[in-house]
Amino acid sequence: MKQVNRIVGGRCVDYDAEIGFTFNGKSYQGLRGDTLASALLANGVDVLARSFKYGRPRGIIAAGVEEPNAILQVGATEATQVPNVRATQQILYAGLVCRSTSGSPSLRWSLTGLVGRLFGRLMPPGFYYKTFMFPGFMWRFYEYVMRRVAGLGKAPTVKDPDIYDHLNHHCDLLIIGAGPAGLTAARVAGKSGARVVILDEQAQLGGCLLHMNNRIDGLPPATWLAQTLEQLTGLDNVLMLPGTAAVGYHDHNFIVAHEIVAHKTSGHKMAGHKIVNHAGRDDSPRLPRERIHKIRAAQVILATGAQERPLVFSNNDLPGCIQASATSVYIHRYGVLPGRRLVLMTTNDHGYQAALDWHAAGVAGQESDEKRGRARRQVVAVVDARPQADSPLIQAIRSAGIRVISGSAVIEAIGKRRVRGVKIAAIDSLGGSVTGKVETISCDTLASSGGWSPVVHLSCHTGSKPIWHDEYGCFVPGETIQAQHCAGAITGVMTLGSVLAQGAESGRVAALAAGFSLSLSDDDIPQAEAIEEAPGIQLFHLPHIKSTSRAPKQFVDFQLDVSAADIELAAREGFESIEHVKRYTALGFGTDQGKLGNVAGVAITARVLGKSIAETGTTMFRPNYTPISFGSVVGRDCGELFDPVRYTAIQSWHEQQGAKFENVGQWKRPWYYPRPGESMQDSLNRECLAVRQQVGILDASTLGKIDIQGPDVREFLNRIYTNAWLKLPVGQCRYGLMCGEDGMVIDDGVTAALGDNHFLMHTTTGGAAQILEWLELWHQTEWQELRVYFNSVTDQWNTATLSGPKSRDLLQGLTDIDLSGEAFPFMHWRVGRVAGIPARVFRVSFTGELSYEINVQANYGLRLWQMLVSHGEQYEITPYGTETMHILRAEKGFVIVGQDTDGSVTPDDLGMGWALSKQKRFSFIGKRGMARGDCQSRGRKQLVGLLPVDPEYLLSEGSQLVCDPAQIANMVGHVTSSYYSATLGRCFALALVKDGHRRMGETIYSPGVKSVSRATICEPVFYDPEGERQNV
Amino acid sequence: MKHLSMNHLPDSPREGHSPLAQAGSLQPPVGGLALSITEKVMLGHLVIRGDSDAPELARAIHDLLGLRLPSAPLQSCEDEHQGRVLRWVSPDEWLLTLPGENLTEVEAGLRARLDERFAIVDVSGGQTMLHLSGEDAELVLRKSTSYDVHLVNFPEGKTVIITFARSQVMLRRLSADSFELIVRRSFADYIWRWIHDAASEDGSALRKGDN
Repeated sequence: MKQVNRIVGGRCVDYDAEIGFTFNGKSYQGLRGDTLASALLANGVDVLARSFKYGRPRGIIAAGVEEPNAILQVGATEATQVPNVRATQQILYAGLVCRSTSGSPSLRWSLTGLVGRLFGRLMPPGFYYKTFMFPGFMWRFYEYVMRRVAGLGKAPTVKDPDIYDHLNHHCDLLIIGAGPAGLTAARVAGKSGARVVILDEQAQLGGCLLHMNNRIDGLPPATWLAQTLEQLTGLDNVLMLPGTAAVGYHDHNFIVAHEIVAHKTSGHKMAGHKIVNHAGRDDSPRLPRERIHKIRAAQVILATGAQERPLVFSNNDLPGCIQASATSVYIHRYGVLPGRRLVLMTTNDHGYQAALDWHAAGVAGQESDEKRGRARRQVVAVVDARPQADSPLIQAIRSAGIRVISGSAVIEAIGKRRVRGVKIAAIDSLGGSVTGKVETISCDTLASSGGWSPVVHLSCHTGSKPIWHDEYGCFVPGETIQAQHCAGAITGVMTLGSVLAQGAESGRVAALAAGFSLSLSDDDIPQAEAIEEAPGIQLFHLPHIKSTSRAPKQFVDFQLDVSAADIELAAREGFESIEHVKRYTALGFGTDQGKLGNVAGVAITARVLGKSIAETGTTMFRPNYTPISFGSVVGRDCGELFDPVRYTAIQSWHEQQGAKFENVGQWKRPWYYPRPGESMQDSLNRECLAVRQQVGILDASTLGKIDIQGPDVREFLNRIYTNAWLKLPVGQCRYGLMCGEDGMVIDDGVTAALGDNHFLMHTTTGGAAQILEWLELWHQTEWQELRVYFNSVTDQWNTATLSGPKSRDLLQGLTDIDLSGEAFPFMHWRVGRVAGIPARVFRVSFTGELSYEINVQANYGLRLWQMLVSHGEQYEITPYGTETMHILRAEKGFVIVGQDTDGSVTPDDLGMGWALSKQKRFSFIGKRGMARGDCQSRGRKQLVGLLPVDPEYLLSEGSQLVCDPAQIANMVGHVTSSYYSATLGRCFALALVKDGHRRMGETIYSPGVKSVSRATICEPVFYDPEGERQNV
Repeated sequence: MKHLSMNHLPDSPREGHSPLAQAGSLQPPVGGLALSITEKVMLGHLVIRGDSDAPELARAIHDLLGLRLPSAPLQSCEDEHQGRVLRWVSPDEWLLTLPGENLTEVEAGLRARLDERFAIVDVSGGQTMLHLSGEDAELVLRKSTSYDVHLVNFPEGKTVIITFARSQVMLRRLSADSFELIVRRSFADYIWRWIHDAASEDGSALRKGDN
């Protein structure tokens, strides 16, 4: 076993399960249950990264989500790359491959490191703003270099093979944080019968119980934890989500939580026990890699605990400088002791625990260390900033023979790639200056504790500003309007007994607020042994013998290289608001949101400004608490499920025919049906000529269809359409034009009178849902007195459109309806049977040819279609798609709303003034809008036809039109539709042109990239202007 | 003629294709979530619109179908023997499902008993019914909708129209672990694919999702 820092006794790792992983190309071993961070520390890997600005070597400083330095690129293959993974949050799995994200060209030899050493002093806050502004043309070069040198990981360039999931939860009570407070709250609330969800960011529930030694109810913490978890597991109404970070706390107690599913190697009932290798996985069904939990909770308990603040001193970023509490976490959870000679610096009693744990581990491992000839692990000294403090903990340290240096601080760490020693000096009682001689002590690890910062982030997400609690020396959650409770260390209370009591009480209060009453018994409140503590002092930034600006760098924000000198300078340069200091220095802008350094930054700002911390306040925290992947945001809404795809009943037939498809709204519609060897244009020419000369068949099922019934249906239509509907006889159809209040065309289609009180409205394919809403809007808000009901029947009816001169002969062979021109004229409909299937047949035409739209109940649509096609063989029936339909309708000058209109086009602009009824008693929607002066004035864009002077030249749809090719900025219109017509043997187009109706015959120009093309303005009807063909 | 009432069904209804007839096996892969999907094909679906206070509506429903008209929101009423279910959809809308062979007769009967103020619309071909059942049925729903489908909030017989993934579904609880989904025909393929995808996950990690 090469894990030089691995010791026995780790509570969360399996010593029998060694697993291999790779860091920067080198193979290492870790244990199942390790985080990537603990495994790297176990292997004695000191330097994981180079810092952002100065390229300084950086190592692991924390054990949780607050870690600023250990940001790695994870993934064995290009497809499975995950950038910016925090090593302290990544569970180790077999075959994990990771590398540093910073350090160019290599981690050992960093370019920025050199620049940082040589010029660091010349890079004050705002350096980039101040320097790279000039000369302007150099920015591209600066940017190129900076993007290579700075920045973090890289995104994968190929498709992610993994799946990501979303899951909704509703609960009476959500508890965020499963430490002593959260678990106690869950136990209490769980008994009440309330639906409880408890989650924790760590893969194992328990929080600080996983690494502390204090007994609870007389039991070792691990035993108490196991018992509590067992109790909770037994409750059906309690759901536990380990390894799930609450990342966003939104209004109405909606919480978004992010779970890393696939790599959980141990845990509780929700955890996937299966070991899954992100890279080489082929098992099916699979586990998602990550899951987003969307939790809607009646009550929320924040039991998020607190994060320890390291102290700010010179070279505090050297690998080997670590949070005191993180030392205990690595020792107790993972069996990792990340060094040999520890110096501990603290401002409070809590820090001593790390020294005790280190000492105990050193004693336990003494024999084996000696056997291997390794240096003994020991605590060299404890440096306590308090002038005189005494408590049982301190006495325990003293009686272990460890030197305690009071009233002093580490003012500087020494070393190049790892701490080699520390400089210690006496400081004054306020921590403002060095008062004594400097002593140098040799060590390889410096743990520091500067007190605790409650995790107030989630509380901030809903707009609640944290407030400074002077007695506890930390920011605590402020007033909130959410149904939110706080328990445990988040309130600033750090003694275990109080934390447990708060947990129980918050569980009771929250359950009560959710409507579940219960009373607490003594058994509900766990008792912890009381440990007497000496009070801590508030100290953040330690003095140096040199001034802050001259002393070696004292880092506040590690991830973005913000030093105490930078913050002092920012304050001196006039940045007084802490929000401005943040933006000027980048304090707290990293992916860790400055979890370690924010309070120190606030304190330094306050000191320079001569204000209190309370007056200075803190910056706000926004979602997400910790970064989440894009994959988890997307969930299952990707690939073929990105958006619903709607199919008609004929889809399978279209696919068999090799149709190419076009997206129309969410529908898939056949675009054209190429035969082998045909180009798209070949296919369109063939389809167009077939319809003009023989017969074609189109799947028109996607057209919106709204069934309207009620005694007032005619009056309603009269108001909603621009044309008249009161007298349309039953059995007939009419084309209708619909406008918005502004008088602009929004939809068109044919509506049929099925009965005196019963109409069927057709809408455009894409507009169906909006038009139904439009009808409901007017009915429900303005015209409630009209007795009418709307129902969508779009999906009920499958529509096969036969179009072409032979359509009558074809259809007559299959139906009992008399199709003769006298019995069934144009713009009529009939009911009958087609191929034995009850059908409604509408004689309407969008191609200008004799056409029948045959509607049958959709379950019989495919059957009907097959019958029409097989019977149609003798007539050379040709299936045609939407593109042919577009060409044919454009030849007839029929507009498509949304293509030839754009929301600024009135019926008059389209030359459809004939569809405006002047005689309506009630008026109609849009009448007043289109009467506005602007809609009546000259210069409006009007629909015209265009014939390119070169008949082979296809104008681009959307291209601009000008009157004078020398002045291409003077645009007078644009092309809306443009096609090659096999019928006409030339290209043609529809366009909106200013005053187009008065410019027939004029020449207009379309400036292209290389040349200008010419076209003649004409009437927009290119074929059969008298409409004889559709009326036969 | 005030309303067009027509039989939509041919003489041999077997020639029809239900919306998911092309989908092949509807079942999610073995080893995924414990779930079974069936399409209830060729049922009659009738939308009934009218004023819920009009006594003739409740009377017509009762006389013709032997069902109580659900007037409270989100309720449904069922005659299991006849295979008829009537669901409250909105204050003036109900959805009746019944065996396909009774459809024409029932529609004509309702039309005869109700005057022009009521609308009856046959949507049998425009939507389809799925039954989702199994230990993990509720779990799959929770992956698909933000509506609270826990038994406490969503008991047997309750009917809601929900956003389901990126589409819409009318959802009714049949029992603790079975649900009825009514989906638009053109969205049926998407919804089935969605359910299939959501269910093709190793269920061991999720099996005890109680909330």
